[in-house]
Amino acid sequence: MSAVWSAAWAAVRRRKLQTIVIGVVVCAASATLVMALGLLDASAAPFDRAFATQQGAHLAAAFDPAKVSEAQLKQAAGQTVSAGPFQQATVDTSTGEVFLGTLTVVGRADPGGQVDRVSVWQGRWATNAGEIVLSRTPGSVGRMGVGFELRLPGRPVLKVVGFAHSVTGSADAWVSPAQIGALQPNALQMLYRFTQADTAAQVEAGQAAVTAGVPQDALLGTLSHLTVKDKATSELGVFIPFLMIFGILGLAVAVLIVANVVSGAVVAGLRHIGMLKAIGFTPDQVMAVYLVMVSIPAFAGCVLGTLVGNLFAKPIVQDAVEGFGVDDLSFAPWVNVVAALGMPVLVASAALVPALRARRLPAARAISAGTTAHTGRALRVQRWLSGTRLPRSVSLGLGMPFARAGRSALTLASVVLGVMTVTLAAGVTMSMTAYNDAVRPHFTDRVELMAGPPQGGPAVRPQGVEAPAAKLSDAEDESMLRSLPGTTAVLAGTQLDAEVAGGTQEATILFYRGDTAILGPRVLTGHWPDGPGQVVVPSRFLNQRGLAVGDTVTVQARGNRTQVKIVGVVLTNNADEIFADWSTVDVLAPGARASFYLTQMASGTDRDAYTAAAKAADPGLQVLPPRDGSSSTAVIIIGAAVVLTLVLGAVAALGVFNTVVLNARERRRDLGMLKSIGMTPRQVTVLLVTSMGALGVLGGLIGVPVGIVVHQLVVPAMAHAGQADAVDILMNVYHAPLLALLALTGVVIAVVGAVVPARGAARLSIATVLHNE
Amino acid sequence: MAAMQNADAVVELTNVRKEYSDSTALDGVSLVVRAGEAVAVMGPSGSGKSTLLNMIAGLDRPTSGQVIVHGSDLGVLGETGLALFRRRGIGMIFQFFNLLDDLSALDNVALAAQLTGMKASQARARALELFGELGISSRRNIYPAQLSGGERQRVAVARALMNRPALLLADEPTGALDSRSGEQVMDLLLDLNQIGQTLLLVTHDERLATRCATRVIEVVDGRIAREHSMERA
Repeated sequence: MSAVWSAAWAAVRRRKLQTIVIGVVVCAASATLVMALGLLDASAAPFDRAFATQQGAHLAAAFDPAKVSEAQLKQAAGQTVSAGPFQQATVDTSTGEVFLGTLTVVGRADPGGQVDRVSVWQGRWATNAGEIVLSRTPGSVGRMGVGFELRLPGRPVLKVVGFAHSVTGSADAWVSPAQIGALQPNALQMLYRFTQADTAAQVEAGQAAVTAGVPQDALLGTLSHLTVKDKATSELGVFIPFLMIFGILGLAVAVLIVANVVSGAVVAGLRHIGMLKAIGFTPDQVMAVYLVMVSIPAFAGCVLGTLVGNLFAKPIVQDAVEGFGVDDLSFAPWVNVVAALGMPVLVASAALVPALRARRLPAARAISAGTTAHTGRALRVQRWLSGTRLPRSVSLGLGMPFARAGRSALTLASVVLGVMTVTLAAGVTMSMTAYNDAVRPHFTDRVELMAGPPQGGPAVRPQGVEAPAAKLSDAEDESMLRSLPGTTAVLAGTQLDAEVAGGTQEATILFYRGDTAILGPRVLTGHWPDGPGQVVVPSRFLNQRGLAVGDTVTVQARGNRTQVKIVGVVLTNNADEIFADWSTVDVLAPGARASFYLTQMASGTDRDAYTAAAKAADPGLQVLPPRDGSSSTAVIIIGAAVVLTLVLGAVAALGVFNTVVLNARERRRDLGMLKSIGMTPRQVTVLLVTSMGALGVLGGLIGVPVGIVVHQLVVPAMAHAGQADAVDILMNVYHAPLLALLALTGVVIAVVGAVVPARGAARLSIATVLHNE
Repeated sequence: MAAMQNADAVVELTNVRKEYSDSTALDGVSLVVRAGEAVAVMGPSGSGKSTLLNMIAGLDRPTSGQVIVHGSDLGVLGETGLALFRRRGIGMIFQFFNLLDDLSALDNVALAAQLTGMKASQARARALELFGELGISSRRNIYPAQLSGGERQRVAVARALMNRPALLLADEPTGALDSRSGEQVMDLLLDLNQIGQTLLLVTHDERLATRCATRVIEVVDGRIAREHSMERA
């Protein structure tokens, strides 16, 4: 065994606490690094990743079976990678007990294949008659689970046996090829993958190639992967800036803490370095001893941390990206390679700088440098503090960070990042909550009542519940609701599926009358429609269609067409909703009655008695259960924010822990002396905790404004990614009491990190310390 | 709190044993130090003399036996109680001075009084008084690293005297000093004892014992082997 290895191994064994701290810190930092890089990787291109994993179709095409045969389609595809033809049926669910809109159902024997490898993430594939698999993004089952039976008049009962996701969006549901016949198929679906499909022109060229041998009018419709990608990114892109910033924060915290811990370990060993030199170790051997000494626990911590990171970071990343349909959650190989190689390189680099300095130091100076550094500034600060009225343990603690300015700066940076993370997470959480509250109001003083089946849009009812069918007329119902004791406002409305000229997607027009100012969506710009032909829309509607307030668009529903003028922007989460005054319904759906009512109750009104009275007056009305107001996006972002904050806060506290361990070790003689002249253990604890508390206060004062600035950058980016506007309720979330609390988090991180080693130092044996000179 | 058997006893040890995992440092030591005495504890390295000092200072606890200082049974005091005892009851001088490097000489001394709750201005005034008495007034704003060994030990003595302790404990007070500085410190301790300060010194230095002590106790293998009164030189 070489002298270097012997000395390094002896140092590792003798300095157990330091070894453990380096191991734990590198482990935590490696896990954080894996998580951070995993987030950055996941946020880089989740759709592309899911698309590649599923071998998504660049083009999904529907053909008329009356005009082209399956053999012709296969032949036309030629050498192009394709799947199909699959028989495709259009199923209208509006007459059933459960309204799921119009479903595109495809008969497909299995979910695999060369193109569009559908991911069955719950249950199993439909292989038998009477079975159906519904398309849902992972994790979003809704109110229907496996076993639910879909009953439609004139159609076979279909039992849901699984949930699957096609990144291509090739179908709303799948059944076995044997079952599709009973659903009256009206099209043949072909799925293609082209060698070049990055642009619309390339997709069009591919389409031209595969349809060249097909009768011209046989092609019923197509869906490009570019269109699907645009939609997915607009809906789920809000995650990306959020994930990226937390990834960057995690990376910064991991680098800082490792630099702090490792360089601290070398600096704390300067005296030992001097002694090694004194007994004949060459400068290079001394440097090697220290590099090996820190590398042993660092390597162990790195291996363990990478494993832990892979285990625990995945659920966070999974929550964030599963909406894109990413089901293969193994991190990209480069994530683990960078963590496994990068962390040891970081450790070695952090150790190398002070080790090189120690290498150059003469032995005598290295030995004397082993004690605390004393700069002019530190001495001036301590002198000033000595004269203050503060308790001596506090004033001594306040001066301590100035003795090791570099170490204190790194510790401060960790605390700043911790506070910044908390501030950002709190801000994002409040922005998400505020947005969620605005677009999905769940006020306890509101009651929703259905008067009849909706004209369009999703409305799932529990199985066995009768469809609403109001007994009274529309006017009588509204009048009845207004006259109920406790009613303070009533809004009546209905909805229509409509086509918007120039758009690629349908929209839902909601017609409101009554107390829209109280119960309607919040108007951000412009005004609520106050006459026929006026509408308000969400900003996503405008952005997706290149429209602006003041523009006029043509809408068509039930064979009626009219022009409407956009007079304002409202805050809602649905890009395809148009809000109109009731007077406009007469143009598009003459004679329509309100299909739902929304009422507001006075404070103190008994909800049960109120709804019972409404039902008694019109038994055909159906009272909807109160909305839970939650959104899966908000829940995921808030949940991820909490977890990431706890992780990064804990890592920052670990940085503080390490600093206190190093400071206490360097100052054990001073602490022993202080105890010998009467400083109590509590005062020693206060001294050391105060030394970090001061950094905590400073970290809070710096971290909060920085966190707010980052929030002001991230939230608009999230909003824009979701094609929404960064409205004031998203931006103005920080208020004075909250800011004070956030600033205190710096102190909390510092105190939590400092208190354990401080208490350990307070129990130091004076006799041992003072006589070990 | 145990009653003192000797009305003028400042320190009273009864059958004190201190065992470590692999050795016995003190083996049934009984000792009384009376007010105004200057007791030198001598003996070879590892004999247990520093352990004895630690017991009296409340820096360590005996395995068995009783240690009473100023009427307080140190065995019943918790860590905080021992700290308060050290704060008020004793002053300690160490071989290696143990001054805080980032405090000036004056602030090192004032620190001991500030821990008792004294205001900074009052503590500094009291420290200046001691600096005058010890002849180091001109060095009050100097930091320990810039002081000579003798000056550092004088500062340490000033700190030990800051709270007017009834008992001054010194552990090899001249052990790290050159002969001239050692002489100065000996003179200082002698002067202090002559004005009534009770002293207990642990030392290898026979000259220090001869010069300052009124009684010498020799500890060998954890026991008091010999004890005799001294005529000061």
